[in-house]
Amino acid sequence: MLAGYLLIMTTLGVGLRLLARSKTSGPHEGSQTAERPEGTRPAAGSRRGWLALARQVTGTAVGGYLLLMAVVIAYYYGVARVAGDFITSAFTGTAMLIAIALPLWGTASWLTERRRQRASHDAGQREARSP
Amino acid sequence: MVRHPLVGYLVWAVLFGALFAWEGLSLARVASLPTLSDVFRVIMRYPVGRWALFALWLWTGWHFFVRGWHFLLRA
Repeated sequence: MLAGYLLIMTTLGVGLRLLARSKTSGPHEGSQTAERPEGTRPAAGSRRGWLALARQVTGTAVGGYLLLMAVVIAYYYGVARVAGDFITSAFTGTAMLIAIALPLWGTASWLTERRRQRASHDAGQREARSP
Repeated sequence: MVRHPLVGYLVWAVLFGALFAWEGLSLARVASLPTLSDVFRVIMRYPVGRWALFALWLWTGWHFFVRGWHFLLRA
């Protein structure tokens, strides 16, 4: 519980700090909610498409997993020796969640993109047929 | 360290209450508070921010759905 609390508050705190810094530096002033999510924006010069997405998702999953394991180990050895197989459960339980969630997310993303492409293809054909 | 679970529930209730209040005020445009979406958008610009958010999501899933379950997902 303490680990979760620390993660939430640290993440939000860093986000607020970054937001305040980016506001003072200028380019993102005004309406913030109408902007396209910048997290999904490809970096300049990066390759686009499925390969870039897979690389970003893999990097995020591996980085997040390692970060959480570091927090869990630091909590276990530095704060409280939690009873039971805490460390083993952390390593295997979170790995299982990733193994369940990422394929589901990938399949859902692929189906959504396929449906969107089909819809735009059909709309293009209808426009071509109309006089 | 306090062992009573009520304290833990109270801390979480206060935390989530504060989050909802913050989001409500920012969506109502009372003062110039950024919305949670704004905050998360900024966090997700950076790889370390994405790692932290993914770690948070992972911890939430592990804490609520894996740890302590003895039915399908035995911890």
